[in-house]
Amino acid sequence: MSEPDPPTRVRSTPQLELRGVTKRFGGVAAVDGVTFEIDEGDIVGIIGPNGAGKTTLLNCISGLQRLDGGDIRWHGASISGMPPHRIARLGIGRTFQIVRPFGSMTVRENAAVGALFGSADARRGPKQAFAIADEVLELVGLAAKAGLPVSALTIPDRKRLEVARAVATKPHLLLLDEVMAGLNNVEIDEALEMVRAVHATGVTVLLIEHVMRVIIGICRHAIVLDFGQVLAQGEPDVVLRDERVIQAYLGERYAKRLKP
Amino acid sequence: MVDFVQLVILGLLAGGVYVAVGVGFGLVWGVLNIVNLAHGALVVVGGYLTWQLFTTLHLDPFLTLPVDAVALFVFGYALQRGVINRIIRAPLLFTFLLTFGLNLIVVNLLLLIFGSDFRSVTPSYSGQGFEFGSIVIPYVPLISLGVAIALSASLAFVLNRTRTGLAINAIASDRDAAQLVGIDLRHAYAVTYGLGAACAGVAGGLIALIQAITPTAGEPYTLQAFVVVILGGLGRVSATVVGGLAFGLVEAFGQSIPGSGSVFANAIAFGLMVLVLVTRPQGLMGRLR
Amino acid sequence: MIARADTHRRWRRIFLILGVIVGAYALLAPLTSLDIAQSAGVPLLADRLWFRIATFIAMFVVMATAWNIIGGITGYAAFGNVAFFGIGAYTTGMLISKARWPFLAALPVAPVMSTAFATVVGLPLLRLRGHYFAVASLGVGVAVGELVQNVEYRGQPIFGGASGLFLPIYAVDNRGLFFFYLMVLAAAISIAVTWWVLRSRLGYGLIAIRENEEAAAVIGVNTTAYKVAAFALAAALTGLAGGIFSQWNVFINQDNTFPIEYNVQMILMALLGGTGTVFGPAAGAVLLQLLIQFLGGSLPISADIPFVSESARPIVAQVILGVLLVVVVIFVPRGVIDFFGGRTRLSLAYLRRSLRETSL
Repeated sequence: MSEPDPPTRVRSTPQLELRGVTKRFGGVAAVDGVTFEIDEGDIVGIIGPNGAGKTTLLNCISGLQRLDGGDIRWHGASISGMPPHRIARLGIGRTFQIVRPFGSMTVRENAAVGALFGSADARRGPKQAFAIADEVLELVGLAAKAGLPVSALTIPDRKRLEVARAVATKPHLLLLDEVMAGLNNVEIDEALEMVRAVHATGVTVLLIEHVMRVIIGICRHAIVLDFGQVLAQGEPDVVLRDERVIQAYLGERYAKRLKP
Repeated sequence: MVDFVQLVILGLLAGGVYVAVGVGFGLVWGVLNIVNLAHGALVVVGGYLTWQLFTTLHLDPFLTLPVDAVALFVFGYALQRGVINRIIRAPLLFTFLLTFGLNLIVVNLLLLIFGSDFRSVTPSYSGQGFEFGSIVIPYVPLISLGVAIALSASLAFVLNRTRTGLAINAIASDRDAAQLVGIDLRHAYAVTYGLGAACAGVAGGLIALIQAITPTAGEPYTLQAFVVVILGGLGRVSATVVGGLAFGLVEAFGQSIPGSGSVFANAIAFGLMVLVLVTRPQGLMGRLR
Repeated sequence: MIARADTHRRWRRIFLILGVIVGAYALLAPLTSLDIAQSAGVPLLADRLWFRIATFIAMFVVMATAWNIIGGITGYAAFGNVAFFGIGAYTTGMLISKARWPFLAALPVAPVMSTAFATVVGLPLLRLRGHYFAVASLGVGVAVGELVQNVEYRGQPIFGGASGLFLPIYAVDNRGLFFFYLMVLAAAISIAVTWWVLRSRLGYGLIAIRENEEAAAVIGVNTTAYKVAAFALAAALTGLAGGIFSQWNVFINQDNTFPIEYNVQMILMALLGGTGTVFGPAAGAVLLQLLIQFLGGSLPISADIPFVSESARPIVAQVILGVLLVVVVIFVPRGVIDFFGGRTRLSLAYLRRSLRETSL
């Protein structure tokens, strides 16, 4: 068995492609003509001020919101209009910004439900689902708390659980919505490790974040949203030096910090 | 053509009662998020109160309506403050069951006090009306419609122009925020339910004038209050007025269908409601919650 | 602390053993009415009244357990499940009285019809949430009852109209015994189905839907299909009970097959016993039915309510029932099974805590 070739930016079909995606609420376009691509194995960050439409964008990709315009393609095939559970079956998983655990289940059961359903790679019977749950809990660092009820978990742990459940669905692409929100520095480092570990298993990661060192730390590619539109995209440190981005989002203080 | 006009008139007049029944129910549902299964019982209490005052004091029934309103307000206030407030934070299932239990209690207490005989309120002018050629506009339903509109207008006035009303509106929008600005939730909730009960009481008085009442006569009115509120749209008094009148019209035309149209009254009502819920949940005039 | 947990466990074991003994008695006592037993000199432990009450209780076990599947496990509190009961009853009733089908052939059709109805009605209905779903399902329940009673074809009521439908009496020995065990079989099936659901993928999906429907959708649960499945399952079991009822009672009309009170009763039973559990609704059904029968004076053991005349008795019974309902709803939101399941202790502190959680 020969070594696989190192990934190169060859003109192959991107894993996820958004073209002119638009979503309106009343008269306001929360997402306005967003276009970008994600290749398999990438870690991409989406940043932007509050209200820029980041979560709405994730909702559109995962099927919770219907598009008002544009198209979303998965491996070249359109998935706009598909119900959320079919999108999950294709292999797109996500977490929610405000975590949504299944309150009456234990930590282990929460993770197992992900494995019971999820992508075509998952969908196991209950027994195997629990085995997968154990693996996943190990990955995110919750193995010791597997038998606890959700109510006994701290916020960082609940975020881990949210990620664990999504990973248990064996996604090919994982959408993370502000996983770092509300965490202190130590917790952010731990969470970064967790995201790296998940990515290392071969999952493409798309994360919405406000914490800059996360974007710079692990993302190879960053997309900046403002007022529902793509303001800039490219390598994180390039994007973050862009005048427009700094103006829209970062403010004077951080911009000064970045300048050498 | 004449028949059509007569039907429309009868429908609108009947709608008056439905409006009265609906506004109180809709208020409690819209603001407190309580589906009050005891609403019909409160209506019947109002009816009996009117009957009692009419029979023993020989008061004109329309004059007893304010008494109904006040008495039921007090009763409703006490009920909310003492009992219903205890489970208001629980899932909706519990309020359903609680109000059902209250309904059982009230209806059966009425049975013990008044027995199951039918009582009716028949002032001297019942059965008479204005006549325009072959079109008749009966007095009692006409005045009832007037009362119902006046009731709705007063309720809307209270809700939109008084301090208490604004507090109630605040609660409807955001309960916790309302508390933070100093609104006494327990009192405001009790006032809201009291107002709903007062409207029910007035509706009961109106109903006693058009049909014979018995303690169990309230059940269909709870169900019909549902339909009226959903038809018109939850959230605004004006929406419920529209819903009530529309329902009156539907019923009038439904009953005129040759065959056993009248027997299907409930089925039509509910079919309509389910249809509205599934196709246009915000009702004819409401905004989606 | 440990000592308390021990006594608590001891009480649980006592109640469990008591429950098993009572259950065994209830299941075996009817056998004493068989001729074989009688000629052997076995004392008669079950008479016609006993059979009637016991079968009724079993019927409610079916309905409460069935409701639990859509209401307790999935979290969609349906308020019109009595429609399925009535549809099942009229399906079997019509097949037997009009089409002259034998009972055992007509019975399986009842759950089929109820399921078909639930699937058709459930697709639009289950898109609604919370209050709207509850109200809509109530509406459907009432409307179906009205329609079945009153719909006519060429001037004649199709389903027997207000005068109802009469079925020929089922020719079998020991009729009371037969129908009792049949209803118990239906109850056993309901409980078995619930048990199976809770440990299957369907069950996990339903619970996920209950806890957080959007999260369930994004991990791959086909929420529409699962909700309809739960609704259909509840309908099938309830329809089965209806089918049995029609032949057992020999007479059916709108009042005894579509009574609105049944809706509330089955929900209350599930609530009382503990929604979302396997045996909870059954326990609640037994307790509540016994209470209703006791208050109504139809049990052989009945206490006299002081100051109340014989004629006022049923009315006062309803008042007491209403008061009980109010008290239970306010103070015991999680049900009796929670206590027996060891998750809480029925102490004053628990009551006070649950009260604080739910009141303003």
